[in-house]
Amino acid sequence: MTVDISLTVNGETRTGSPEARKTLADFLRDDLDLTGTHVGCEHGVCGACTVIIDGRPVRSCLMLAIQAAGSEVTTIEGLATDGGLNPLQQAMWDSHSFQCGFCTPGFVMQATAFLRDHPDGDEQQLREALSGNICRCTGYQSIIDGVLLAAERNRER
Amino acid sequence: MTRIAAERYTGASVRRSEDPRILTGSGRYVDDIKLPGMLHAAFVRSPLPHARVLSVDVSAARELPGVVAVYTGAEVEEMTVPGPDALSTLIGSAGPIPEFSLLATDKVRLVGDPVAIVVAESRYLAEDGCELVEVEYDDLPPVATASFALDPASPPLFANLGSNISRPHSRTEFGDVTATFDQADRVFDFHIDVHRHQNVPMEGRGSVASYDADSGLMTVYTATQSVQLSKIIVAMRLGLEQDKVRVIAGDIGGSFGLKIGASREELAAAAAARALGRPVKWVEDRGENLTVSGQAREESFDIRAAVSSEGDLLGLDVKMLIDTGSYPAMGGGVPDIIQAMLPGPYKLAALGFESTGVTTNKAPYVAYRGPWASETFVRERILDVIAKDLGLDPLEIRLRNVVPRTDPPAVMITGRPLVGITTRESLERVAEMVDIPAFRRRQAEARADGRYLGVGMATFIEAAPGPRAPGGPSGPMGLESMRLRLDEDGIVVLFTGQMPHGQSHQTTLAQVAADEFGVPFEQVRVVVGDTDVVPFGVTGGSRSATMTGGVALHGARQLKVKVLDFASHLMEVSAQDLQITEGNVWVRGDPDSAVPVTEIARRAADGEFGPDADADLEVVASFDGGEGGWSGGTHCAIVEVDAETGLVQVERYVVAEDCGALINPAVVEGQIRGGVAQGIGAVLLERSAYDQDANFQSATFMDYLMPTACDVPRIEIEHLETVPLDAHVNFRGVGEGGMIVAPPTVVNAIEDALAPFGVRIFEQHLPPARILELIAEADSGQ
Repeated sequence: MTVDISLTVNGETRTGSPEARKTLADFLRDDLDLTGTHVGCEHGVCGACTVIIDGRPVRSCLMLAIQAAGSEVTTIEGLATDGGLNPLQQAMWDSHSFQCGFCTPGFVMQATAFLRDHPDGDEQQLREALSGNICRCTGYQSIIDGVLLAAERNRER
Repeated sequence: MTRIAAERYTGASVRRSEDPRILTGSGRYVDDIKLPGMLHAAFVRSPLPHARVLSVDVSAARELPGVVAVYTGAEVEEMTVPGPDALSTLIGSAGPIPEFSLLATDKVRLVGDPVAIVVAESRYLAEDGCELVEVEYDDLPPVATASFALDPASPPLFANLGSNISRPHSRTEFGDVTATFDQADRVFDFHIDVHRHQNVPMEGRGSVASYDADSGLMTVYTATQSVQLSKIIVAMRLGLEQDKVRVIAGDIGGSFGLKIGASREELAAAAAARALGRPVKWVEDRGENLTVSGQAREESFDIRAAVSSEGDLLGLDVKMLIDTGSYPAMGGGVPDIIQAMLPGPYKLAALGFESTGVTTNKAPYVAYRGPWASETFVRERILDVIAKDLGLDPLEIRLRNVVPRTDPPAVMITGRPLVGITTRESLERVAEMVDIPAFRRRQAEARADGRYLGVGMATFIEAAPGPRAPGGPSGPMGLESMRLRLDEDGIVVLFTGQMPHGQSHQTTLAQVAADEFGVPFEQVRVVVGDTDVVPFGVTGGSRSATMTGGVALHGARQLKVKVLDFASHLMEVSAQDLQITEGNVWVRGDPDSAVPVTEIARRAADGEFGPDADADLEVVASFDGGEGGWSGGTHCAIVEVDAETGLVQVERYVVAEDCGALINPAVVEGQIRGGVAQGIGAVLLERSAYDQDANFQSATFMDYLMPTACDVPRIEIEHLETVPLDAHVNFRGVGEGGMIVAPPTVVNAIEDALAPFGVRIFEQHLPPARILELIAEADSGQ
């Protein structure tokens, strides 16, 4: 069974007819060709598939595409502007935050929500906020440093 | 930093050229590939650990709309070339080679063993099809433990082996073992267990295979540590000529030793793609990854240690039993490396080493970051226990036993010269960084408050690449080659067989080549991941810093000679008087003479000077590792153990390491921290668990616990000045060290914390429940 849906993705209205059982992650990747959202565990633990829906970070592997009908979705592809990096991405580049890059989109989206809600958050708050995202490469320190650098630059701005 | 302030890129934390695509979601991983007409595969997998397959009925699945094909194990055998596992044949195995089919045909040997492949219009439909395949099994007794596998009564997994011995017992002696033990003041006996855990890259295995019937060309897009090795295996098992196979890889979401060669599933999917004439994608889900992709480290050791009453470790006599799981992979070869590395950086006069490997109904034993790491765990663990018995400090016993740096160098009793090692310096440095006396005071105060703090250290060396054997004809890791050319647009292009999956080679190799050739970093491009254009190579064994960094250095110099030779025609100056800096060729002492490299490249492409000038600005370079050398270092952890809950918190983690000259410090530190995080996870969280009947118990991230940002502390790193051994190349590998030495570091700290309870630890996996058991056992005097 397919269902016709319409939603806003990265500021654009997108429509589709996914099967009712299709996850939002698979819909974004397969139907909308937004492959920046990665699927790391398909059971909501690793956080690689995190996107922002109506302002909240959400695991797109645990949500059906049809549940996102009418929502406003932001994916990793929606962050950079004019081919450039946004301030968080820039700070993460400057901090050597990542290695293999597979978990990266989920961390960037989760950190985006954290910085918006906790512009003055400390390291421990940040570690707790990111503890639902798994990275196998870095030991997390470089990711933490990248987000804290972005927060510092935001405050100076 | 955008532009590097330093004179050279090498040695600076140049920002990674991989990151802009990764940070914006534009990376290209295998699951991102979508080809016209592409189908999706899923596998029917065994729910039983050990059983005969009586029948496989695929008729209902074949009728499901959207299912394009279903192939049983027997049908896949007809579509492929039967034979022993290609990878274990290539890397060598100490024992007899088990015979088995690509997918299971007559029997299944682990939970998750694939028995049929379903190909459909979507992965969802392929999985629907799997549900409709009826397989009739006849249970066999499971072989769940290594000790049962040793029992001749255990049912053999592989008929042609006749038993469950995958690596026959062998014993080797180095030095005079008997005399050494006779002379010892004390002989200690230990039994140490290392538990099964696994790689768990965030991206699982997977590939997309596409066959063009007209040209006979098979193209496989995959995630692998070596495209050329994958190509060899695809060609072998599909019965194709090597030149009819092309393997391509893009970004790879981690591996840590897992993605080598081509998996059984990938080969079956490729066979299906050829049969159907349509591309077939298979990307494993997390359940498949945890259950069947591979696991590592399940080993036990009976150890006798000969020690003087002053604390000199004189000799070891070790019996190792390794559980290599079901299908052959790397496990059979691990005891050889453990044997060679067991003496570590210490003055060991004798080593007796015997080993046996067994098959069980568990996942194959694959390479996992520092596959031989148990040698360090065993050695660094028993040193602490011996020190405690003799009333010595852990630092003191290590300093007492570590070899001095002499000329000629001390030689490990197992054969390799310990040239240039800085173990003593790293031990002393971490002790200073941590300030052990100050910690002991804090520890005593905490204990008075009922809090249990502990400090632990461990040291290691790694043959990355290892020393050049005295008088040896070539380096320790064979040859590494690279093709380098100056493109007509003036870009220096490096073609390497390295297949980065997080190691940042596209940055680090460009740094080295930019410095050596004399162009800006941005004017160097590193090409990887296409068997049509890259030479043979494998990313693994911490080899790339020395081997590929070295070939980039020498290759760039050779290319420069060639370019200057051509430029000498253009500029009408002898090549000896020319140099290249900052992207310009110029006559020494005459800054006004500068001609951009881009112009030289263009004019070479135009063929301006005819046959007199060699305008083919390309070289193929190779490097044998030069003088090589050891990587190594010492790690130190401070932990707090909650004796009520058994929870362990790593409060501080300090590293003094020596990986030679650094190409990119941020990259080096990332490798160390990532390895340490895996080691902390291995001790406190991760375990590939099976029940007593070999049913897999940790197939999700709710059961297989991964370390998070709340479990891994800040890791403080100091780089030691290395002892340069080679005139040109002193970069050494750093990929595996963190994972090798972190487990004993953390366990040593935990035992120190629990000293008031008299706890002694002879195992590696210490989740809260086990910590509480250890305290209770010690309390009851067991």
